[in-house]
Amino acid sequence: MMAQNSRSAEVTAEARPSAASAQVGASPQLEAPARLEAPPQLEAPSGGWALSPPSAAPPPDRVALKQQARRDKTAARQLLAPVNRSISLAGLLVAVAAVCGVVSFLLIVEVCRRLLRVPVDTGTVTGLVVAAFLVLALRGLLQVTGLVWAHQIDAGFQLSLRRQLAAKLSRVPLGWFTERSSVQVKRLLSDDVEALHYLVAHSRLEYVNATVTPLVTIVYLFVVDWRLTLVLLVPVIGYLFTLSTLTSPAHNARLGLFSRGEQVVESTTVEFVDGISVVRAFGQTRKAHKGFQDAVGQYADALNAWKLPMTRTQSMAEILLAPVFVALVVTAAAVGMGAIGWVEPTDLVPFLLVGIGLGASLIGLAYGAQALREGSSAAGRLRALQSLPELATPAKRDEDGREAAAPGRGHVQFRDVGFGYHEGQPVLRNVDVELAPGTVTALVGPSGSGKSTMARLLARFYDVTDGAILIDGRDIRAWSLEELYRTVGFVLQEVHLIRGTVADNLRLARPSATPAELEDAARTAQIHDRITALPRGYDSEIGVDAILSGGEAQRLSVARTLLADSRVLVLDEATAYADPEAEAAVQDALASLIADRTVLVIAHRLHTITEVDQILVLSDGRIVERGDHPTLRQSGGLYQRLWQTNEEAMAMLAEPGTREELV
Amino acid sequence: MIRKAIALVPADARQPLPAHLGAIGVYSIAQAAAYVVLVPLLEAFLGRDWAAASIWLAVMAGTVAVAAVGSYLQSMLGLRIGVGMLRGVSIRLGDHLSTLPLGWFAGRDSASVARVVVGEVREVLGVFARLLAILIAGIAVPLGIAVGLLFVDWRLSVAMFLGLPVMALVNILAGRSYRSVDDRMHQSAAEANARVLEFAVAQPALRAFGGVGNGTRALDTALVKQQRAAKALTAAAIPGLAAFTLVVQLVFLALVYLVVSRATSGEISAASAIALIVVTARFIDPLTQLGQVGTAVRTSAAAVDRVHGLLEAEELHDPESDVRPADNSITFDNVGFCYQAGTRVIRNQSLVVPAGTTTAIVGPSGSGKTTMLRLVARFYDVDTGVIRIGGQDVRDMSLETLMAQISPVFQDVYLFNQTIEENIRIGRPDATDAEVREAARIAAVDEIVERLPDGWSTVVGERGANVSGGERQRISIARALLKNAPIVLLDEATSSLDPHNEAVVVRGLRELTEGKTVVVVAHKLSTVAHADQILVVEDGQIVDRGTHNELIGREGRYAQFCRQRDRARGWRLTAAAG
Repeated sequence: MMAQNSRSAEVTAEARPSAASAQVGASPQLEAPARLEAPPQLEAPSGGWALSPPSAAPPPDRVALKQQARRDKTAARQLLAPVNRSISLAGLLVAVAAVCGVVSFLLIVEVCRRLLRVPVDTGTVTGLVVAAFLVLALRGLLQVTGLVWAHQIDAGFQLSLRRQLAAKLSRVPLGWFTERSSVQVKRLLSDDVEALHYLVAHSRLEYVNATVTPLVTIVYLFVVDWRLTLVLLVPVIGYLFTLSTLTSPAHNARLGLFSRGEQVVESTTVEFVDGISVVRAFGQTRKAHKGFQDAVGQYADALNAWKLPMTRTQSMAEILLAPVFVALVVTAAAVGMGAIGWVEPTDLVPFLLVGIGLGASLIGLAYGAQALREGSSAAGRLRALQSLPELATPAKRDEDGREAAAPGRGHVQFRDVGFGYHEGQPVLRNVDVELAPGTVTALVGPSGSGKSTMARLLARFYDVTDGAILIDGRDIRAWSLEELYRTVGFVLQEVHLIRGTVADNLRLARPSATPAELEDAARTAQIHDRITALPRGYDSEIGVDAILSGGEAQRLSVARTLLADSRVLVLDEATAYADPEAEAAVQDALASLIADRTVLVIAHRLHTITEVDQILVLSDGRIVERGDHPTLRQSGGLYQRLWQTNEEAMAMLAEPGTREELV
Repeated sequence: MIRKAIALVPADARQPLPAHLGAIGVYSIAQAAAYVVLVPLLEAFLGRDWAAASIWLAVMAGTVAVAAVGSYLQSMLGLRIGVGMLRGVSIRLGDHLSTLPLGWFAGRDSASVARVVVGEVREVLGVFARLLAILIAGIAVPLGIAVGLLFVDWRLSVAMFLGLPVMALVNILAGRSYRSVDDRMHQSAAEANARVLEFAVAQPALRAFGGVGNGTRALDTALVKQQRAAKALTAAAIPGLAAFTLVVQLVFLALVYLVVSRATSGEISAASAIALIVVTARFIDPLTQLGQVGTAVRTSAAAVDRVHGLLEAEELHDPESDVRPADNSITFDNVGFCYQAGTRVIRNQSLVVPAGTTTAIVGPSGSGKTTMLRLVARFYDVDTGVIRIGGQDVRDMSLETLMAQISPVFQDVYLFNQTIEENIRIGRPDATDAEVREAARIAAVDEIVERLPDGWSTVVGERGANVSGGERQRISIARALLKNAPIVLLDEATSSLDPHNEAVVVRGLRELTEGKTVVVVAHKLSTVAHADQILVVEDGQIVDRGTHNELIGREGRYAQFCRQRDRARGWRLTAAAG
C-alpha cells in the first residue's frame, strides 16, 4: 500500500511538465547538489532494518501501513518541534512573497486598464511598471531569503540532531550496536537526518507557496469576475476527476506487479554481484544470467503494463491543465460572455496573466509527496531511536556511590543472573559465580550455551534481566558508565581502531599518558618495534601510513587495554589466533595483559585453558560444572566429553606427517 | 546529457525517436502559435469585434488541438522509448556484468550496483518520459513566440531575442557558482559519514576506555565541518539565485515597458499592447520552468553518466578460439601484477606446479599470496608475463574451460539464500542426489544438517547468515568435492575454528585434494610440511623455495615461520610472570 501511494505521488509529479506556473519570475530553487535525489526515486518500501527485501515478501498489511504512516507523521512533528517556530517565520516570508507575486500582476493589469483610457497618463503607467518591478523584486528577494534561511535552519538542526543522536547512542546498550551493521547506524545518523532536509527546508515553504498563491489569485479573480473564475476552475476539476480514475483496483494490481518486478531485479542483481565468484567458479554464469534476463523481462513488461494505461490517462489530463488549453477555454468563455454583455473585455486580462497557470501551481503540492514520505519515515525511525531504552545510570552520584567508587580489587560476583534477548527465551539462567581478584576464569561449553552472552553482561553490553552483577560489592548498574568502563576492559576478536595516529589510539585509554607510558605499554604488547618502524612512528596515521595486519592491530589494542589498566578484563580466547602470521606475538602480549587482573575468558580451544584458576562449564544457559582442569577432565561430565572431542581433533590435526596428510 | 541518454536506447527501440522528437516539436510550435494568435484575438476582443474574435478563437482552438495531439503523442512515444531503453540497458548491464573480471567486483558492494541497474536506469527512463519534452519545449516555445511576433511586432520580437541570451548566461553562471561549492559539500559529507561509521564500529572501544566524550570529538568536529559546508553552500548560492530571479523579472518588465511606451506614444493600439503583454508573460514562463528543472537535469545527467560508467567498465577479454590444457600443471612465467593503487604487487614470479603435486605458499600478510591464487583463477589478468595451465595461457582459454579445471576454496564463502542442498549442488548442477549427499557426508555437512530445523531444505539465510563460519567452510568444501576439478586452489582460512570444526575441515580438504594439483596459501604447519614444494613469498616476490626439509635447514624466514607456528600451537593461557 505504501509503495502504491508513492507511485501515485509520482503520477502527479510526472504530470508537472506541461503545467506552467502561474507566476512570471523565477521561483528560486535552492538544492544542494549533494542531495539531488529528486525527482521521486522509487525505492522498495522499507520501514525496517531489512537490507534487501526478500523476493517473496508478503504483501504488507494495509491498515498497519496506514498506522505507520500516521505515526511517522507525528514523529516528524515531534522531531521538528525545536525548529518549528523559525520555519514558520521563513514560511511567513514566502507567504508575503506569494502575495507580492499576485500584486505585481495586479499592477500590470492596472497598466493595461490605464492604457485603454484615452488619453493615457504616461507618468502613472510608467510608475505602475516600476512599482510592479519593485514588488516583483521584493518577491524574489523574500523567496530567496526564506529559502536560504530555511537551509540555514536545516544545517543547524541537522548538527544538533546528529549530536543529540550520537549522545543518545553513547548511552544505549552496546548490544544495540553488535546487533546492527555499522552501515545501518550510518543510515540513521547520516541518511535519515539528511532525509529530513526536505521536511525542514522545503516542504513547509512549498506548501505555503502552493496554497497562498492560488488562494490569493482566486480571491482576486473572483472580485474581478466570478463567472470567468468558475469557468477557469472547470479544467482543474476535470483534471482531478480524470486522475481519480487512476486509483482503480486494477491499476493498483498492475502497480503491485511492477514493484514486485523491481524488487526481483534488485535482489537478483545483488545476488548476482555478491555471488559472482561462486557463479563463475562453478560455471553458472549462464544460469545466473538467464535468471537476471528473465527478471528484467518481467520487470519491463510489468512497467509497461502499469505505465501505459496510466500515461494515456495522465497525458490527457495534463492537456486539461496546460496553460495554453486553459487560456483557450477562458478566452472562449470571455468572448461568449462579452458578446452578450456579461463580461467587460479588460477583465479577461488578469485571467490570462495569472489565472491560466493556477491548476499547475496546485500540482506543486504533490510534487514533494515522495520526499515528504521519505522524510516522514526517516523521522519515524529517528524517533524510535530517540526512545530506545538507555542503560540505566545513577542520576546523580550519591555519597555512597562516591565511596564505593574508590578503587577496589576487582572482585566480581554474578548473583543469580538471568538474561534473555527476547522475553520468554532465556539465554542464561541462575548463574551464580564469583571471580576472585587476580584469577582467571574460563567459560566453556558448546556453541549457543551462553558463553559470549555471559561475558558480555559483565561488560554491560546488555543489562541482566534477573539477579545482579556486582563488582567490589556494588551492582554494575549503579556505576556510571565511565566508571564501569574504567574498571572493566575487554579484548574481543574484532579490533576497533579509530582513524587518527597510533598515539591517538593508545591515548584513548588514558588521555593523559606520557610518551614514555605509551612506549611502555607498546613494548609489553610487543608492538613497539613495529610502531617505530612506521614512517612517522607513533604519529603515523592508522590506515594512511600505518597499515597494520590483523595481529598488529590486535597487539595495539592490547597495548591500549594495558594503558587503561582496568582491574577486570573480559577476553575472547580466539583473539590469540586472529592472525596466523603473528599468533605467538599476540599470545605473548595477552599473557602480559592478564597478569594481576580479574579475567573472564571465553574459551573455544580447551587445551589453551588447562592452567586457569577456574573453569565454568555452560550448557543451555546454566552452569553445569565448575572446577579446575585436572578435576573436571575426570568428572565424567560434559567437560570430560568436550575435552575428549578436543583431544581427538587435536590429535588428528597434529598427526605426524605421513604423505596422506594433504596429497 | 541528451545525446548520452539517447546512446543508451538500443537500436530496436530507437525507431520511434524521430517521431517522438517531432511530436515535441509540433507540440512546442503549436503552443507558440496559439499564444501568438492570442494577439489578434485579444485585439479583436478588446475592440469588441466579436466576429473577428470568433474567427481567431477558432484558429486558436485549432492550434491548441494540434498542441494537444502533439503532447499526447510525445508522452506515449516517450514512454515507449523509455521502456525500450530500460529493457535494453538492463539486459546490456547484465551481459556486461557477467563479462567483467572478478576483480572489478572486489571493490564494490552489490547494493550500489543494484542501484545503478534499477534506480539509475529508472532515472534515465524519466529523461524520455518527461525531461526531454520539458527541455525542448522550454526553449522552443519562447523561441517560437519570438519568431511568431516578428510578423506582429518586430521590435518586441527583437527585444525578446536579445533577452534570451542574457537569461541563459545568468542561468549558466548561477549553476557554475553552485557547483564550485559542491565539491566541498561532498568532501565534508564523506568525512562526516566516515566518522559516523567509525563511531558505530568503534563503539566498544570508545566505551571501553571511557572515551565516549573523548572519542566522539572527532565525530563532532566532522559534523560541525559538514554544517559549515552546508551553510557555505547556501550562502554561495544566494548571488546566483538572486541574480537569476531578478534578471528574469527585469527582462519581463523591460519587455512590458517597451510595449507600454510604444502604446503611450501611439505607435500601437492599447488593445495590441495588452495582447502583447499577455504574450510576453507566456514567453517568460517556460524559461522559468527551465530554471526549475535544473536539479532534475543534473540528477538525470549523473544517472546517465553512472549507467555509462558501468557499461564502460573494462571487460575480461574472452578469446575467440578456445584452447584446452594438455595436463593439470600450472606455470608462472615472469608474472607481474598490481592492483590499481599499486600498493600490493606481484613481481617477476616464475614457478612450476607439476600436475598432481602440492605447492604451499607461505609469507607475511600482504605479501601477495592470495593474489597469486586469484590470478590463476583469472579474477584479474596479469600485467606482465604469462600464467599457463597445461601449457596454455589462461587467457587463451574460454572462462568455461578454465573454470572447469579449477575448484577454488577461498576464504570468503558465499552462500546463496537457498537450501543447503542447492548451495552444494552449485558445484555440479547435474549431480545426482546421492552424489550431493556423498559430498556433504565427506565434508561433514550432514552433521550441520542434523542440527537445522528443516534439515536439508533449511534455507541458509542471506549470505548464509544461519550457519557459522566453520559450517560455511564445510559447505564450500562440499561444493568443491562435488565439482571434482583437477586443480584445487585453496586459501586456508585465517579465522580460527575450534578444534572440532577444524578437524572436520582438514579431513574434508584431505579428500578434496587427493590426487589433485594443489596450490595452497598455507597457515598451518601440517599443511605446509607435506607439500611437494614450498614457496616463501615476501613483498610480492618468491624469496625462497624448496621442500620442508630443505628449507628448515636454511634458517631463513621459513624456519622462523615453523618455530612460531610450533610455539603458538602449544600455547596456554597463563599470565606472564611479573
